[in-house]
Amino acid sequence: MQRIKVIVFKEWRESLRNKMILLGAIFLPLVMVGASLVMVYQGRAIEVPGAQVALFNTALMYFLIMPAIIPVAIAAYSIIGEKEQASMEPLLATPISDSELFLGKALASVIPAIGLTWASFGLFLGVCILLVGEIPPHVLNPPWIAVIFGISPLLSLFSVGVTLLVSSRATDARAAYQFSTFGILPALIPLIVYTSKKTLVNLWLVGVEGVLLIVASVIVLYFAIKVFSREQILTRWK
Amino acid sequence: MKQEQCSVIQTEHLTRNFGAIAAMNDLDLEVNKGEVFGFLGPNGAGKTTTVRMLSGLIAPTSGKATIVGLEIGRDNRAIRERVGVLTETPGLYKRLSVVDNLLFFAKLYAVRDPERQTEQYLRLFELWNRRDDLAGTLSKGMRQKLAIARALIHEPQVLFLDEPTAGLDPEAALMVRKLIETLRTKERTIFLCTHNLDEADRLCDRVALFKGRLLAVGDPRELKERLYGRRTVIHLAEAHAGLEDAIKLPFIKKVERMDNTLVISLSNPEKENPLLVNRLVELGAEIQFVKELRVSLEDLYLDLMEENDATD
Repeated sequence: MQRIKVIVFKEWRESLRNKMILLGAIFLPLVMVGASLVMVYQGRAIEVPGAQVALFNTALMYFLIMPAIIPVAIAAYSIIGEKEQASMEPLLATPISDSELFLGKALASVIPAIGLTWASFGLFLGVCILLVGEIPPHVLNPPWIAVIFGISPLLSLFSVGVTLLVSSRATDARAAYQFSTFGILPALIPLIVYTSKKTLVNLWLVGVEGVLLIVASVIVLYFAIKVFSREQILTRWK
Repeated sequence: MKQEQCSVIQTEHLTRNFGAIAAMNDLDLEVNKGEVFGFLGPNGAGKTTTVRMLSGLIAPTSGKATIVGLEIGRDNRAIRERVGVLTETPGLYKRLSVVDNLLFFAKLYAVRDPERQTEQYLRLFELWNRRDDLAGTLSKGMRQKLAIARALIHEPQVLFLDEPTAGLDPEAALMVRKLIETLRTKERTIFLCTHNLDEADRLCDRVALFKGRLLAVGDPRELKERLYGRRTVIHLAEAHAGLEDAIKLPFIKKVERMDNTLVISLSNPEKENPLLVNRLVELGAEIQFVKELRVSLEDLYLDLMEENDATD
């Protein structure tokens, strides 16, 4: 556990000195919160029920893009950075186990993604009260809460798994970022479907999305862990 | 039993293949406690693969090895706790400060007081004044020093150094060589991979020459003597025709003459040289200089490589 913590803090220290990651982690949530607020602000005055639902669902979707996209940059750099600096071998020469290394790298990406998503949601609720005077009932209901606190972490986990897999084969951080973003798109399809629906996101839809994400994450993480062995890293990684 | 106590690295038929290519074939080696052992081979000969196997990073295809009594494959984690590895490139975190680089590894190795140990090594390697600078801003020589400090931070029993002076300018290389000299202790074994033969000659107690397989092992001086014998060179004021045939001393193994220079192979020059000189004076030779012919490790290495290539 101690070694996992050491890896996580090292990753964060490096990420804080990386402008690409830092700016992404600050601006992406702000843009998403801004866009969600616009949707809710416009939606509250619309009398047509279907249109209002679509706008609220779209606002929710922004909070699902965040946990999927934020960890990509951190995870991609954490692997590509090691490759570029040739620092992986000295790291592997320490007594750290393969699973500790994998968990350290994964948590270093997942924790900020979830933290920023939840913090952004808090900011969104706060500004919503300031702007509208209340939180619309369709926004803070059980499906929304299930999405924010249940689906977001799963999306981050899936996203990190995909990124670690992609990064093991990539030699360039930008390429890893782009391919990983492409790789996580399938996980966002159900969310895109929500926004086209005229019915509000409900617990059944959230449940289906959750089960699909758990299955996809297990598959992706299984392969990512397999790729993350010393032998593979030193002899197969590019 | 005594042998086992002395030996910290032992390999038996250690082999590693990558597909159809054998990176290391049938390596039998024994490295003793406290010695600086040179592992010499050309680029691509399997030096890095061997270090990776011996430090518990990759598995051998066949054969076995023990490091400080621990078996590779079975006790890899325990081995990694007891060995330090300097990889071919320093592999520092350029966005982290000098102190953060070292502290990170001290914590990974679960060093008892990481902050104190880090400070001690930074002071020892004269990097304390640069502790807050980013590692990416250090010179090549400084980076290498920091990488060596990193390999030593947990006080390993065995230190693997993979090409420690490769890519360094002569001044930085000298600095690193001096540093390696200071690392010699009775308790620490240094396994030095290099293709810098002069460096190996200066630093190593014993060397192994290999290219995919082991070609020779021994004290550099003994190896040279074993392959070339000991030879005395005598410069004469003028060439004496037939002198080489006239010497006729029982201990002389071979005499070669080139103009006014004699090269004489002996088994015990310390004892035999005075007798030889007396005999030459008796024969009327006017001796200008007497010296021992020193064969460099490079000559030995190149001859062995050539022989190996011819065998293959």
